[in-house]
Amino acid sequence: MAPIEVENLTKEYGGVLGVDTVSFTVEDGEVFGFLGPNGAGKTTTIRVLLGCIAPTTGTATVLGADVHDEDALVEAKQRIGYLPATLGFDEEVTGTTVLDYHESIKGGQRRDELLNMFTPPVDRPVREYSSGNKRMLGIVQAFMHDPDLVIMDEPTSGLDPLKQERFNEFLRAERDRGKTLFFSSHVLSEVRRVCDRIGILRDGKVVTVEDVDTLLNRGGKQVRVQTTDAGRAALADLDDVIETTQFPDGIQFIYTGEYNTLLTELSRYDVQDVDISEPPLEDIFLHYYETDANAREVAEADV
Amino acid sequence: MFETLRYESRRRVRGTAIMTAAISLYAGFTVWYFSALEGVDYEQLVQEAPATVKQAFGIESLTTIEGFLSAQVFNFVWLLGLGLYFAYAAGALIADDIESERMDLLLSFPISRTQLLAETFASLLVPLLAVNIVTGGVIYLLVGAIGQTIAPAHLVVAHVFSLPYLLVCAAIGVVASVLAERAAIAKRAAVGIVFALYLVESVVGSNTAFEWVQYISPTHYYKPTQILVHGSFNVTDPLVLLVTFVVLLALGQFLFQRRDI
Repeated sequence: MAPIEVENLTKEYGGVLGVDTVSFTVEDGEVFGFLGPNGAGKTTTIRVLLGCIAPTTGTATVLGADVHDEDALVEAKQRIGYLPATLGFDEEVTGTTVLDYHESIKGGQRRDELLNMFTPPVDRPVREYSSGNKRMLGIVQAFMHDPDLVIMDEPTSGLDPLKQERFNEFLRAERDRGKTLFFSSHVLSEVRRVCDRIGILRDGKVVTVEDVDTLLNRGGKQVRVQTTDAGRAALADLDDVIETTQFPDGIQFIYTGEYNTLLTELSRYDVQDVDISEPPLEDIFLHYYETDANAREVAEADV
Repeated sequence: MFETLRYESRRRVRGTAIMTAAISLYAGFTVWYFSALEGVDYEQLVQEAPATVKQAFGIESLTTIEGFLSAQVFNFVWLLGLGLYFAYAAGALIADDIESERMDLLLSFPISRTQLLAETFASLLVPLLAVNIVTGGVIYLLVGAIGQTIAPAHLVVAHVFSLPYLLVCAAIGVVASVLAERAAIAKRAAVGIVFALYLVESVVGSNTAFEWVQYISPTHYYKPTQILVHGSFNVTDPLVLLVTFVVLLALGQFLFQRRDI
């Protein structure tokens, strides 16, 4: 049985759908990225998986435990780590006290190793922590009992770039050790760096679940051409051209069709400059969101 | 098992020490003040007070140390002060953790919600027991020190019977805590309900037409004045309180179990 199986999951809050018939499966030993803008339903899905909220309809299993079955879920949680988006540690106690409490309940065989890698000032009270330090304390508590599955909600928010890179490396190493990692993010580049597969969530619905590589290949090429007015107009009208942007003396677009067709078309006009490259993941993402204003926010969050 | 109880209890130690010290100081002051008032004839003054006021403040006799303590310490601090404190503290239990999103971490632990609430609630036993044991001891020693006597059995009963009363106040807080959307609302609602019940008993309860109303207030089932001054008590009253406590806590558990966090 896959570590996470979600089937037709719907959660309704007072007439508003938080998530709407969401289905996906996270396979053993993969890093699964759950991507979408704020408010798309990522946290709602995660809360269902942890039994914080009950689904309105549909179901989900985590390490084989049905989320409706509290006893089974409690049993499964011994092998689950969780890093929430907001880390509500007790402010008045030290990091050591927090970790002692966590260790007493779920174990902490990797605590020292993790504290060498991520270095929150554990002797100081949590109220003195920066957001990065809180995040590191969160990472330590999520992994310290060496869980088989770790669920993370926006795990790198608050981390400086150096620590982010260390964390990404750590995630890859964990995956190689056979752990299953599920994390939500609205930062595309992060997801691209560490994930094997991505589920894209939009307005509470899963728009697509794909391999990162497939998503990139499917995305076609980004073409940037400097040419005449007539050339620009003709290129913009070509089939398989999307995401057209005009700029002075030129045009930029994503081309998903046959390369020969594009080259034939280009040869008809006076081309001063041409650049054909891999499209940024942001643009692929925009494709799924189309005119959605949220998409720009997501795409730009990474720039 | 009991890791949460241990952790939460340890967090309560400092607050408990401060509160216990303050209440013991007040109780000590009251005992000393009684000795300082010796020879002053204020019994007449007391007898002229309206019956409602006397009943409201548990005043029966201010010329004996028992009467003085029950009016100044037990009726004010135990029935009202500590009643409100435990309602407030229990109102904060779940609601504060939900508001700070600490509950997300707690619910990721391999323990059930029932166990989490039970152990968190049980940590309130730290201040509950400490304040009764320490203040009771301080009162007994100081009463002896001013050359008065107080029946130790009556003092013990006055403290022991306060436990189910304070547990009911705390259970009211738990129900408010799991119901309210915001922590501030939970705490205010718990304090408001306990205060309203106190008033119901002391004011409305004396009116014969609404006599039945007093039976819904937990204060009706804990009468420190009667215990200390007359040495009279029955075991039904604390039993009524214990049953109420169990029912309220079970209701709190039921609501918490079904609540979306």
